[in-house]
Amino acid sequence: MLEIEGLSKFFGGLEAVSSVDMRVNAGEKLGLIGPNGAGKTTFFNLVSGTLKPTRGKVTFEGRDITGKSPHYIADKGIVRTFQGINIFPDFTVLENVVLSCHLKPGIGLVETVLRTRGSRRKERAILERSRAILELVGLDKLADAVAQSLAHGHKRILGIAVALAAEPKLLLLDEPLGGMNAGEVSETMALIDRLWHGGITILLIEHNMRATMNLCQRIVVLNFGRKIAEGTPDEIKANPDVIRAYLGAGGHAA
Amino acid sequence: MIPSLAGITTVCLFLLPLLLSGPYYIHVFILTMLNIVLAASLRLINLSGQMSLAHGGMMTIGAYTSALLVMKAGLSFWVAMPISGFVTALIAYIIGYPFVRLKGIYFSIVTIFFSEVVVLTAQQWQSLTQGAAGIFGIPRPNPVSLFGILHVNFSSKVDFYYLALVLMLICLIILYAVEKSRIGMILRGVQQADSLAESVGIDTTGFKVLAFAVGSFFPGVLGAFYSHYISAINPDAFAFLFTIYILIYMTVGGENRFFGPILGAAVLTILPEVSRPLKAFEPFVFAAVLIAVIFFVPEGMVGLPKMLNRALRSSEKEPTHA
Repeated sequence: MLEIEGLSKFFGGLEAVSSVDMRVNAGEKLGLIGPNGAGKTTFFNLVSGTLKPTRGKVTFEGRDITGKSPHYIADKGIVRTFQGINIFPDFTVLENVVLSCHLKPGIGLVETVLRTRGSRRKERAILERSRAILELVGLDKLADAVAQSLAHGHKRILGIAVALAAEPKLLLLDEPLGGMNAGEVSETMALIDRLWHGGITILLIEHNMRATMNLCQRIVVLNFGRKIAEGTPDEIKANPDVIRAYLGAGGHAA
Repeated sequence: MIPSLAGITTVCLFLLPLLLSGPYYIHVFILTMLNIVLAASLRLINLSGQMSLAHGGMMTIGAYTSALLVMKAGLSFWVAMPISGFVTALIAYIIGYPFVRLKGIYFSIVTIFFSEVVVLTAQQWQSLTQGAAGIFGIPRPNPVSLFGILHVNFSSKVDFYYLALVLMLICLIILYAVEKSRIGMILRGVQQADSLAESVGIDTTGFKVLAFAVGSFFPGVLGAFYSHYISAINPDAFAFLFTIYILIYMTVGGENRFFGPILGAAVLTILPEVSRPLKAFEPFVFAAVLIAVIFFVPEGMVGLPKMLNRALRSSEKEPTHA
């Protein structure tokens, strides 16, 4: 589905991502882990178009999307979430999702200004779909709350709902569990699993190791911008390079 | 409440010339209506999170375009006016792509430079624009007859008053419809979090340019109206301070609501005119009002009723606390 060859990004002399090869198969749950500063978020930025790669090639469903703009890539089916601002703070929860249900139903802009019958019908369809998405993620009771007034965990879930509304085939989740309490973590993990069962391929960055190991079928490990390991959760747990990356060179403890 | 208020105001505005004595007040109201549309259209650009300071320049472009189309190309005013709007919007669209790559204050700065470039062009392109002296003797709009009964020949200011009123209503209806449409929602989304909007498939650059172009259409049309109304145009008719005044109308009125800039422009244009001593100190008065609003009514004048309401309620409750 997604093929990455020799992907590199240099910031001056710093190799934030260095010659990474990777493959995401349709219908899998892939985890991307690594210590802080390993280049995980930079990697997401390169794939989603937020940053332009220095070298390398990104192919999605046979189409070369290297260096394309984020909105183009999103339109083709790769949607990412952010660690930071991932909601429209002044909109209500429902408006957040409605806005993101963007132009997929093919509403012409002039049409919406003139409020033609066709545009109103499509707006109604968008509204229904938005409510369905909120129900799916469990935010339907908060539909009319202003997004910035939500609790942290709900904000992160809303971020996922906003991404979902853009109809991703491949969803890139950047630390979806960050700052969540135990209950929220298990709810969010269940949600990600539901999305996966619904046919969305998942690529996940996460620091919560246990969650990643439980959730993902396959894991890729980055360290200092390089891919150092790839395999099933059990293989990764046993990989000496990975253990060294996390615990340092002297880490014989494991 | 707002629709009925708008309706009543509109009816009053149609009857106003029957009550006003003398062309001077008619002139003040014409300027007020122009300022209202200018402030409201500036707000549309502002919705996308970009603060344009090119409204004066855009108005100059519209004024010259229409004057030249009528005087040199022999077009009718009624054709030249909309064309001026489209020409202005097209220019904004073209310069918009490089401009919107700059964010925040940097965008504003290049729009100021753009306005200066417009002024310099009008001054230096002698063969076309007659240089710094400007163009005089711009003809009045061609006479029109409405429904075969009402003949308007634009010989009096009252005729221009009605033209300005109709223009204002059309412009405000368009601006309102755009804002309430999906475009308005997307622009507000882009303003709040543009990289998030981009990540869900919204062409944020395209929408910022769209807002800039559509928002510049209106000063283009009004510039055309103005040059034929005053029958003259010179390069610095709409200089930097003019644009700053529009910005002040918008901010003082309340930039977060559609009716804010309308209210701001109306109050701040009429107030200095009805009290002549204030007029001499206009920049000082505006500065003082602006500071006062920013400190005491951050939402702008449109936020006043809500604020007063809140203040009244809390003062009612006080005795129970005491």
